[in-house]
Amino acid sequence: MTAGLKTNLPVFIVVIPMFVAFMLPTFARRIKWIEGTVAAVKLLGLAAAAWLAHMVLYEKDFPVKYIMGGWPAPWGIELVIGNLAALFILTIAIVSLPVALFARDNLEKEVGPKQRIARFYVLYLLLIGALAGMAITNDLFNVFVLVEVVTLSCCGLVSSRKGHGAAKAAFNYLILATLGSALVLGGIGFIYILTGHLNMEFASAELGRVWQSSPHTVWMALSFLFVGFGVKAALFPLHVWLPDAHSMAPSPASALLSGLAIKGYIISFMKILYVIFGHTLMQEYGIYRILILIGMVAIIIGSLSALLQKRLKRRLAFSTVAQVGYLFLGLGLANKEGLMGTLLYLVSHAVIKSLLFLAAGAVISATGKENIRDLAGVGRKMPIAMGTFTIASLSLIGLPLLSGFIGKWHLVLGSLGAGDILSVAVIIIGSILCAAYLLPIIRIAYFEPAPEADWQDPGLPQKAALILLAAGVVLLGVLPGPFIELAGRAAAELLLIQ
Amino acid sequence: MKELLEKVVINYPYLAAGILFAIGVLTVLTRSNVFKKLIGINIMESSVFLLFVSAGNIKGGNVPILDTANPKPVYVNPLPSALMLTGIVVSVSVTAFALALIIRLYNSYGTTDLRRIGEMDYEVKKK
Repeated sequence: MTAGLKTNLPVFIVVIPMFVAFMLPTFARRIKWIEGTVAAVKLLGLAAAAWLAHMVLYEKDFPVKYIMGGWPAPWGIELVIGNLAALFILTIAIVSLPVALFARDNLEKEVGPKQRIARFYVLYLLLIGALAGMAITNDLFNVFVLVEVVTLSCCGLVSSRKGHGAAKAAFNYLILATLGSALVLGGIGFIYILTGHLNMEFASAELGRVWQSSPHTVWMALSFLFVGFGVKAALFPLHVWLPDAHSMAPSPASALLSGLAIKGYIISFMKILYVIFGHTLMQEYGIYRILILIGMVAIIIGSLSALLQKRLKRRLAFSTVAQVGYLFLGLGLANKEGLMGTLLYLVSHAVIKSLLFLAAGAVISATGKENIRDLAGVGRKMPIAMGTFTIASLSLIGLPLLSGFIGKWHLVLGSLGAGDILSVAVIIIGSILCAAYLLPIIRIAYFEPAPEADWQDPGLPQKAALILLAAGVVLLGVLPGPFIELAGRAAAELLLIQ
Repeated sequence: MKELLEKVVINYPYLAAGILFAIGVLTVLTRSNVFKKLIGINIMESSVFLLFVSAGNIKGGNVPILDTANPKPVYVNPLPSALMLTGIVVSVSVTAFALALIIRLYNSYGTTDLRRIGEMDYEVKKK
């Protein structure tokens, strides 16, 4: 029994949320049941993710290949459960549980009556399952299908907000994201045409043999995949959909979109780049330089645009554009420290940004004010919401002992290792700009006189969600041991598979 | 030059896919009517389907159903077609979802032109 559970655990992590998502509207008539089911699924997911991470860390026979349906590769679909997958699944579980907790009281305000809340949870579970799938799949077409599931459920989550602004944001997001998926599918098509394989490792081996005979097709595949995943992960010049979509979505959805969905695309892109193309091809085609350059531009321009925003959630959304720049920069450094930096920053940004969005959502729904200028004195009236917001801000800036520091530290080490002083400078300037757009919010909230208003901290479940995430931010900074271990091994694995 | 032209003529489905893709992308990026954008998306996705399906085609290939009594010499690769079946399903669901969003947009703005919707939002913001 336990052995069977253990072998099939990764599949359960993907399939159970999806299965429950489709069953939810049929068997759960009351909102309490729905919330209970979602909470149970998420608790199970957290336990499973922790177990998986523990196994990957301490047992020798990992990474394990799981063969779906008994058809061995290259014919069947293969799942690879390794360090990267364990790291990302653990992140998903850590972030999504507090988000579900926060959604309990929030959704009625932002989404509407109970049928709509039920649909919100359906999309939420689909998103979680598909993201976990992206982390473990080893099949290119599977990547495309999961990318589409994530995209559609994200658009659904954005459009679930009441009011007409959300429909427009969701439509723009849907159009650009579908453009991105067509490009991703085209890129996968070129790889398939070249190699005849959809399994990543077989495709990689075949590509290593044939790329010299048709270098232009490899170029096409690379550029299609780069632009496609760039649109989806909101890489700088392609980020135009993000500010609207992330600021219009209901707060729990913003937290998921900014914290997790974008990271899923980056993990997939990372696997495609490092597992399929590998070091030699990427160097040959100069991808590293492009990644570093675009990452640096994204950090600077994203931060500057965040500085110009007057509304709280829009400022956080532009901040995400800047942080995506860090992740791509780390991908381009091509050494172990740089990749570790990307992975660790990915984990810490997932926790930090979802905390920021949830705290901002709590503040906005209590005060009814979206402009930063109107939030004077909110810190004294809502100590928990603003307190956790402050912790997250300091962590995003990169203060030592908080989680953002570790990722940035490894990125700096990686840039030094690659001999790239300019990117070290950009990382530090990015931190300063980050302080420049986050600290004024905190200053206004704490040090300006509060108006006469009845602003209060949110209810207990929401407080618990905020405190859990804040504890996560601090714990990741103080005791990052297992995460550094997982990220280090994953980076080594990605660089060795060539 | 002649070699290149020959390659293009032999691989005409790829050329068609490329042209369709360009038409689709241009439509999506330049038109402000939501329906035209949606049609552009569909053209673009169809071009990718064409790319896949023509990659699986073999000239003079037979239907890939194995008949052990009289095996055929060449079979068409069935995998890309099977994959594109999934792709078409995805594309249909995207279209359906986009149409639902368009209904919501039309109900709240009274127009299907994104430029005019943007202008209306801007005016609301100014007030």
